[in-house]
Amino acid sequence: MKRRSVLVALAVIAVTAFVSAIAASASYGGKARHSAKSIEVFSLWGGSEKDAFLKVTAAFTAQTGIDVKYTSGRDFITEIRTRLAAGNPAEIAIVPRPGFLGTLARENVLKPLSSIGLSTAYMKQNYGPAWISLATVGGKLYAVPAKANSKSVIWYRPDQFKKYKWKTPKTWSQLLALTKKMKAKQATQGFAPWSIGDGPSQSQWVLTDWFEDIYLRTAGPAKYQLLFSGKLPFTDKSVVTALKTMLQIVNNNYALGGIQGILGTSFVDGIARVFEGAPKTPHAQLYMEGGFVGGIALGQINPSLKPGITINDFPWPTINAKFGRPLLGAGDLAVAFKDSPEIRQFMKYISTAAAATVWVSTGAVISPNKGVSGSAYPNLLVRNEAAQVKSAKVFRFDGSDQMPGAFGDTWGFALQNVIQHPSSIKSILAGFQSKIAGQWGS
Amino acid sequence: MEAPLGFPRLSQALPTPVEHPPAVGRVGLRTLGARLQGLLFISPALAVLTLFLIYPAYYTIRLAFYQSDFLFRFTHAIGIANFKNLLTNDPDFLDLSKFHGVNILRELLYKSDGGALLNNLHWVVFYITLSVGFGLALAVLAARVRYERMVKSVIFVPMAISATAAGIIWLFVYNFDPNIGIVNALIKPFHHPVAWLGRPSTVNYALIFAYVWASTGFVMVVLSAAIKGIPTEIIEAARVDGAGEWEIFRRVMLPMLSLPISIVTIWLFINVIKVFDIIYVMTGGGPGTSSRVIAFTMYEETFPNGRPGYGAAVAVIMLVLVAPVMVLNVRRFRSERVVT
Amino acid sequence: MATIEAPVLAPADSISARLVRFATRTPLHILLIGISVIWLVPTVGLAITSFRKRPDIASSGWWHALTHWSWTLHNYGAVIHATGMGHAWVNSLIITVPATLAPLTLGALAAYGFAWIPFPFRDTIFLLIVALMIIPIQTSLVPLLKLFREHGHLNNGYWGIWLAHTAFGLPLAIFLLRNFFITLPKDLIEAARMDGASNLAVFRRIVVPLSVPALASFAIFQFLWVWNDLLMALIFVSDPSKQPMTVRIPYLLSTYGQEYHLLSAAAFLLMIVPLVVFFSLQRYFVQGLLAGSVKT
Repeated sequence: MKRRSVLVALAVIAVTAFVSAIAASASYGGKARHSAKSIEVFSLWGGSEKDAFLKVTAAFTAQTGIDVKYTSGRDFITEIRTRLAAGNPAEIAIVPRPGFLGTLARENVLKPLSSIGLSTAYMKQNYGPAWISLATVGGKLYAVPAKANSKSVIWYRPDQFKKYKWKTPKTWSQLLALTKKMKAKQATQGFAPWSIGDGPSQSQWVLTDWFEDIYLRTAGPAKYQLLFSGKLPFTDKSVVTALKTMLQIVNNNYALGGIQGILGTSFVDGIARVFEGAPKTPHAQLYMEGGFVGGIALGQINPSLKPGITINDFPWPTINAKFGRPLLGAGDLAVAFKDSPEIRQFMKYISTAAAATVWVSTGAVISPNKGVSGSAYPNLLVRNEAAQVKSAKVFRFDGSDQMPGAFGDTWGFALQNVIQHPSSIKSILAGFQSKIAGQWGS
Repeated sequence: MEAPLGFPRLSQALPTPVEHPPAVGRVGLRTLGARLQGLLFISPALAVLTLFLIYPAYYTIRLAFYQSDFLFRFTHAIGIANFKNLLTNDPDFLDLSKFHGVNILRELLYKSDGGALLNNLHWVVFYITLSVGFGLALAVLAARVRYERMVKSVIFVPMAISATAAGIIWLFVYNFDPNIGIVNALIKPFHHPVAWLGRPSTVNYALIFAYVWASTGFVMVVLSAAIKGIPTEIIEAARVDGAGEWEIFRRVMLPMLSLPISIVTIWLFINVIKVFDIIYVMTGGGPGTSSRVIAFTMYEETFPNGRPGYGAAVAVIMLVLVAPVMVLNVRRFRSERVVT
Repeated sequence: MATIEAPVLAPADSISARLVRFATRTPLHILLIGISVIWLVPTVGLAITSFRKRPDIASSGWWHALTHWSWTLHNYGAVIHATGMGHAWVNSLIITVPATLAPLTLGALAAYGFAWIPFPFRDTIFLLIVALMIIPIQTSLVPLLKLFREHGHLNNGYWGIWLAHTAFGLPLAIFLLRNFFITLPKDLIEAARMDGASNLAVFRRIVVPLSVPALASFAIFQFLWVWNDLLMALIFVSDPSKQPMTVRIPYLLSTYGQEYHLLSAAAFLLMIVPLVVFFSLQRYFVQGLLAGSVKT
């Protein structure tokens, strides 16, 4: 009998909890997602990058009274696809991959900018031709470039360089020599030369950036364009050469924790290994990734970092002097799945220099918008990055992001395979090529 | 059917079917009314089942024979092309080219790049063996101490939490950083840290072990209840005859436990076919595709890769694999024997 | 038939004999207690981590916390508010309760029909339901998604997942409850029928009150099953503001950060409900599990 009353009591509690949950959720959700005055924007940022974006949406709401709900997902490609299949995509998504953008556009699920009030002429006023062509599919403009970053930088601790009297390298052989010098100190000082985080939390794109920077400098921008548009197969000799060059640094010897460390560390943890305990001795000295590293390091990992003193970056060294210093860059593009007055307002807002200025003032991003002045950047890290992007003579967009569908991930995994089995480079490349052949333009 | 020590006997789960209760009162009308009433009682449930379980299953089988896109539009019939591709042309699903026939059984068991289907084979072998092994050993040993219930509870706890929570727990355990991951902390004095989830050669075993941790409790509880059904007289008699503990275990207990062991083995087998959550949380099928299993492939092909027709073919293969168990269940239920 | 009620002990006589017995059984005790402790370590480790400050988590193992005790509730606050886990917890509840009550009700009605009302093809249909118990969810995912989308946008709210869970919970409900109902005393039911009670009355007044343990077993089992479910929620609840905890927690493993302090707190919040239910209602849960040993 006592058991019975326990059960009855529990049943009552469950029902009460349920009813109050419904009541609570009614006021929680507040403005329903599909109500007139709110829109949902979907992307993949978390942490400090998300906070930076929320400042932009707050400014938008203050200006127009329209509420913006930001949602993020772990696998944004899957999320977008699942929600499209379920019939309720977000109103707007900001995607980092023009390749995926192309897939969506060809499926006719995106609204061309011209149909939601943004003419091509207007867009050309605000954005350079490289960005316009990235956002164009089949002759129509589909996306507003929201943010940009340079991926041709290497991060380091200036205080450590001062201490050991190291110089920032300008060529690959100098970089290799610097690595060896750092390695020599590892036994006594405890730091490894490089921190590379390509493992958990879908960090496999880190190695793709290594490859792209090297390929640009060993095979040249023209071949780069051919490779990442499907016109050159991945089994080409130039790819093998670039990979072998990459393995000169990305190997068991020079990376923190060796290959295991690379596979076991996530992208953000990799940054932490260099900048976490500053100004104490770091676990590793160098970290290669894009300009956004600064924002993450300052915003999330160690707010006491001082740009120029305990954190700075130097541009990617040249490898083949003939190709100089092309800039590898990436960016995020905003697309609309539906049409409504609120969506039009938001897309228009995002394309203005005003919005871009709010965004860059957080120090987390740089903007592809022509109308943003250099003085809007709050610290020397982003100012340098913006200057680098602006002054680049040759600009190439991140290759793996241009791959169709989810092949950017597949390529990342292939590279993980390469560093684990360097003797099988040719067969790994052949395997990847057979998967992606014929998929370009899908 | 009093349940000793709070845990019910197995026989409570699978009793014999009872004969029809006799019709009472005026036969003709009463029976007709009763028949209609019976259908009335089962019709809501049957309607839900048909609409949302049976019909979709049939539909999925049909979809497997169609070409499709990621908006779930099914365009034209392509016969068995999806199945052919799955079994012969998709190295992430089944890759027999890696096996050179030198010692095929060993290779099948230890190589980890044979695709999702062969990963399931790894699971079947290692997961089931370890779970049954641990569960049986624990059930037998714990039966001899007074605090048996406490041990059972502790081992059983992981079954109550979700696979998501278990996945997070073991993500911490396997973490590369020795400050966070217990395993790497333990091996630190002897060996440098290992990326358990980042290497194709260890990831499957790591996942299997985590799931064994979560499932052993079930095996232990079932076998423990079954052990209580073994009459003490037989054990005592064997002891008096001078049999040692191990012999008693092998010759007396094990044969009497064969039916419960087969029941849990089947349950574990179904688990292997369906395992998804823990892989989604811990590795997402990675690194690359080396920890994929069938259920994960179905999800991955349907949603991230946008090929629902192909994914439906995978679902059909899953159905084919569990079909023998379905038949077994029905047969077992129909038989007149009492199951203890 | 006598069963092994108590540990199999040789008759105890003198203190020295007892001591000897204890000493020889010490390895057994060590083994069992050791294994129990090891089994608990992963869970306990997570729980302790969730109460530590973020810098501590990264710099020392959680086992250090056992000696240098310094803890905080900050992670829980952060996880509930900043990441919306509190909201997700409510969502889990909203999804789970109807998804438990619906199959319980429909299943009980159907089980009564199968147990106590003869009708043509009764046994055949029941066998079909036995077969349905182990159908994997994957075989219905895509058509259900299409169905929900095309008929009323059921994916936008909770109806989609409620219906899906009800459908997949029904076979076990019917199986478990029917097997219990047929053990009820025949005379009671016949007597009521002879008194002129309708089937519904018999169901309400006799069968249900007598079956509380079985109903509870299924309800608790189904509750935990739905609370812990990931795949169905992943597919059928596409609105991020309605997703339950099991779906939102992997999002903390996002591309841009492994925030251990948030992860551990969130995972613990997810585990708390099943743990409480399990420890307080262990017997019912296990009963449901055993009966459903054919469902996973």
